[in-house]
Amino acid sequence: MNKIYGEGETAVHALKDVSFSIKRGELLLIVGSSGSGKSTLLNMIGLLDRPTSGKIFLDGTETTTLNDNKISSFRNSKLGFVFQFANLLSDLTVLENILLPRKIQRTDKNAIDDAKKLLRTVGLEKQMNNRANKISGGQAQRAAIARGLINNPSIVLADEPTGNLDSVTAEIIVQLMKSLVKKLGQTFIIVTHDKHQFGDVDRVITIKDGRAFEEEEPKGMEVAAT
Amino acid sequence: MDYRVHLAKRMLTNKKGSLIGAVLAVSIGILVIHVNFVIFQGLYDAIVRDLKDYRFADILVTNEEDYIDKNDIALINWFERIPGVEAAASRMDSSASINATSNGKKTEEFRIPVVGVDPLRDTRVSTIHDTVGDGQFVFARNSIVLGSRIARDLGGVQVGDDVKLKFVDKFGVDKIKRFVVTGITSSAGGQGLDGSVVVHIDTLRSLLERPDETGAILVKLNDPTKAVEIKDFFLRSFPTDDFKAETIEESAEAQLSGFRSGIALINLIGYFGMMSSAFAIVTIQMMLVSSKTREIGIMRAIGAKRKDILILFMVQGLIIGAIGAGVGTALGLAYTFYAKETKMQFEGSLALEVTYNWEKIIQTALTSFALAIVASIYPAFRATRLLPVEAMRTV
Repeated sequence: MNKIYGEGETAVHALKDVSFSIKRGELLLIVGSSGSGKSTLLNMIGLLDRPTSGKIFLDGTETTTLNDNKISSFRNSKLGFVFQFANLLSDLTVLENILLPRKIQRTDKNAIDDAKKLLRTVGLEKQMNNRANKISGGQAQRAAIARGLINNPSIVLADEPTGNLDSVTAEIIVQLMKSLVKKLGQTFIIVTHDKHQFGDVDRVITIKDGRAFEEEEPKGMEVAAT
Repeated sequence: MDYRVHLAKRMLTNKKGSLIGAVLAVSIGILVIHVNFVIFQGLYDAIVRDLKDYRFADILVTNEEDYIDKNDIALINWFERIPGVEAAASRMDSSASINATSNGKKTEEFRIPVVGVDPLRDTRVSTIHDTVGDGQFVFARNSIVLGSRIARDLGGVQVGDDVKLKFVDKFGVDKIKRFVVTGITSSAGGQGLDGSVVVHIDTLRSLLERPDETGAILVKLNDPTKAVEIKDFFLRSFPTDDFKAETIEESAEAQLSGFRSGIALINLIGYFGMMSSAFAIVTIQMMLVSSKTREIGIMRAIGAKRKDILILFMVQGLIIGAIGAGVGTALGLAYTFYAKETKMQFEGSLALEVTYNWEKIIQTALTSFALAIVASIYPAFRATRLLPVEAMRTV
């Protein structure tokens, strides 16, 4: 796929012929320097933005032709998001934030039990009734991970999930996500500028000048096109 | 509870300043309407009340052309046999030139309206006798009650002084009669007979050489809502006579028509005030949307549809409208209660006739409520147009 911002002489080619696939249960890192296009790529995969050309398939569904309502439903049921800033709703408690995707989906059955289970998994049981703006950054990020998992998504997309955390807390978040991949078989696509923080992962894609390359350094070999 | 309602409630309660501002905007709009209604409708109703009590009663019967030549006692008895009629009394209107002698000095002569009343019957249909603050009513044939303005114009005539009135009788002959002032009438707001004089009806009939004639029959009802029905019944019962029967609204039309236009204008201003409240809500809601841009982006990112965002902010409008309408109506009712209980009046003018017009109260509350919701449409729509990625970049 391609993503071009603007038109004519001012056009910026943010993503150029990017093509790759990801298997269920994989932890894929997308790395690259600032402004390389990695967040743009994540936004495309997360259906938060549309590519200028090309197609994106998720669970066998071609998503670029979906209308706004269907995209919203798709995001809600198939994708989980973890942002650099936890992006919890400050008006709600931790538990309510985690339940929100489920409420949007209108499938309340076992929702609270599932949310509590996730809170236990991420170690936030005691904070569940705290307002989201009354917990620490690390706790907020763990809550965001729990929120991203509540609807059993096909993929969890994390954009610089440790970018706003101190190194100790960042390490806790990294280990949490890695453990979720192992324990739940959850697919993660993580955008980061620091791949070393994650140690061994299944795959690494490097974005440089809008192009995607397997491995850290560009070797002229693009990821297999779908 | 639906999550959108829950979230709308939380967002508002966590933005107390905006909530209070929006609620105040709605409440003040309603309060302005209530205050306008209490004052101007209260004034209108007070004038109607006073005109009814002092001049026209519930039904006023006159003759199309001249004086009523049918026996007034027969007509009064006819009316008083009808269920719903409390009492009836005759009156006679004329005019005369007046001068007074006070402390041996004669005042300038000028023309004045003269009202002839049957003092015993009149007290049953009218409260004009209650406005005689100084002295007593015209129970004697040579007594006269002066309107306060007349007494003042005569140079401060007092009870016990003499006044001389010159009438022109039925045949064009001047008739002069000296009266003893037995009372001075003064009404708050001046809707009574402050600019007239009151004499005994038989004295006036005699002076005008109209012994069997009557100017008008005033009919007081137990249930004023039956006025039209009784008036029509009367006119049907005397088809060959040239009677003219009018309800208080018809009798007082000349005095009230201009006032009604004024009230309509004031109400219009009140509704413009309400529209201003709606604009205030648009502004506050826009601020709320602006302050929640990031949250809107997050919600959209995790799957909320545009429709959900629209509903969220419409629910906020609904909450603002409901609380605002409730608070505004409560404030308005409190003001109405205060005005009613204290018989509110301004600088010695007539006491307002304050009523609880529930139809108007409910209509005002519902209009404000609806306006708050309508005022939320544009901000809510704007919220739905935010793109998740851009919205989440907002700090």
